[in-house]
Amino acid sequence: MKNTLVLTLNDLAIAVKNKTLVLVLFIPIFVFIALNLVDKADVEANIIKIGMLQDQTYPAEMAQSIEAADQVFAVTWLANQEQALRLLKDHKIDGIVTSNEDQPNSLALLVLKKESLHTIAIVQSFSALQKAVEGHPPSWVSQISSLQHSSMQRETLPTWILMVILLVGFIILPAQIAEEKEKKLLLGLLQTPIHEAQWLAAKLITGMALAVTATLLLHLLSNVWPQHIFSYLAFILVGSFCFSAYGVFLGFLCRNQASARTLGVIVYLPHLLPSAMADVSQKLTAVAPLLPSFQLFEPLQSILLEDGSMASRSFALIYLLLLGVVMFYLAYRLMKRRWLM
Amino acid sequence: MQLQVNNLTKIYGQNRGLTPTSFAVEKGELIAIVGHNGAGKSTLLKMLANWIVPDSGDVSIDGIDLKNRAAAVRKIGFIPEDPNLFDFFSVEYNLKLFAKLAQTPLLRVEDILTELNLLSFRKAKVQTLSKGLKQRVSIGRTLLASPSVLLLDEPTSGLDFETTREIYRLLNTMHAAGKTILFTSHRPEEIKNLATRIMVLHKGQVIFDGLPEEYFQSDIHAELYA
Repeated sequence: MKNTLVLTLNDLAIAVKNKTLVLVLFIPIFVFIALNLVDKADVEANIIKIGMLQDQTYPAEMAQSIEAADQVFAVTWLANQEQALRLLKDHKIDGIVTSNEDQPNSLALLVLKKESLHTIAIVQSFSALQKAVEGHPPSWVSQISSLQHSSMQRETLPTWILMVILLVGFIILPAQIAEEKEKKLLLGLLQTPIHEAQWLAAKLITGMALAVTATLLLHLLSNVWPQHIFSYLAFILVGSFCFSAYGVFLGFLCRNQASARTLGVIVYLPHLLPSAMADVSQKLTAVAPLLPSFQLFEPLQSILLEDGSMASRSFALIYLLLLGVVMFYLAYRLMKRRWLM
Repeated sequence: MQLQVNNLTKIYGQNRGLTPTSFAVEKGELIAIVGHNGAGKSTLLKMLANWIVPDSGDVSIDGIDLKNRAAAVRKIGFIPEDPNLFDFFSVEYNLKLFAKLAQTPLLRVEDILTELNLLSFRKAKVQTLSKGLKQRVSIGRTLLASPSVLLLDEPTSGLDFETTREIYRLLNTMHAAGKTILFTSHRPEEIKNLATRIMVLHKGQVIFDGLPEEYFQSDIHAELYA
């Protein structure tokens, strides 16, 4: 334990000396400047998954038309509002359609996020269907409400947090490990009675400390905080553990810093883009859950934006934890074999 | 027998490395390992230092199996050709870091700084030091844990005359203090002045193992430097 602490302090000192810490501090500031500039995405013309409630009385013509338009809508009939909300929060459906009690012969649409390209796509599809059926206004959807009521900063925060955690895991740690291998510093440290696992643990703790510091800074700057703080903290810790272990493993696959940075970027971008962009693209929504990063991003989004908790996200938590353990073990095996040292 | 090497083997591609090699070293010997580049000298030392995992074979130091790394590293110290120090930290920081990890009293750092004439450089960043000074820091770091066997890979490579003499003085001092030393070298005068025994490696095989007088009279020496 003492050795691990000494090694961790040494690693943090290295992070200061080689400007790694400056990079970590720079990202949150960059994020908030970039926020004002980011506003583009593509709308996918895919089938929209709509939830309809069995206990609702829909205007007959509308219900029939929606069901008949199977090239545009995939309708799931649900027993009650509670079940529908659960599916919506789990991204299994794109929106819930109910009859609008305030305005007869019209519909109310409940979506996750009102100001999103996804919602625009749904409304556009309804509008096109109505035009095809009736050919004139007023619009079928007379009311749109959303589960998320939040600012732009809150809405985009999970994306930036994912970016920072992946940056530490895939870019910073592999490069630092490759540097220690390249300069034979690691072999020098192994001339002392430290255990290989202690060195690896120090790297892991360093990665987690950097990721958690950057995340905290993001929250301080945006003044956005989650309702379920323990659930949130659990995902931040387990996520930074998982991706730090992943990064340590990547570091062992590289002989030098340059190759580590290259490999890091190659792994970083595919992990970042589908997860962060999944919300605005149905195609990406289908692919994203296959990536480990989505298992962190989705719970963070749920907890921060929908007041979700850890209870319904235990699969993601265990997935991240197990992946981290596997990566740590693989890194340990490579270290024992003095791989590319 | 202080160091026992049995069938130690490491083969890289194109038959480079070290073929099965066995030898024993008595306490207090000062052995020069010579041979052309790629003969297997550094590979041998790095395997003894646990830097390279051998394909096969066993090594024991004072009866401790080298595979028991945590115990073996207290017995053996390795000084590589290029000092592997944390360049952006001071001499003192480097020594204290290794003292802590080696669980050596920090007072030992003061002794090392004094013994190796490094007191005036204690606050200097390693990256600002000459190669000779870095080599002294590297030796000092290794001596912190007082290992009984020292391995030096071309300790005077790239050093000027004065610094080379300083390294010779250090080697002689360590030898006089009872340390067992194995070093690789390309310099005949270095081998002649320092070694009490010479091992010659050629294409991964030991082709000579004997006294310096025998070596310098043999054809092997003549062929090696032809």
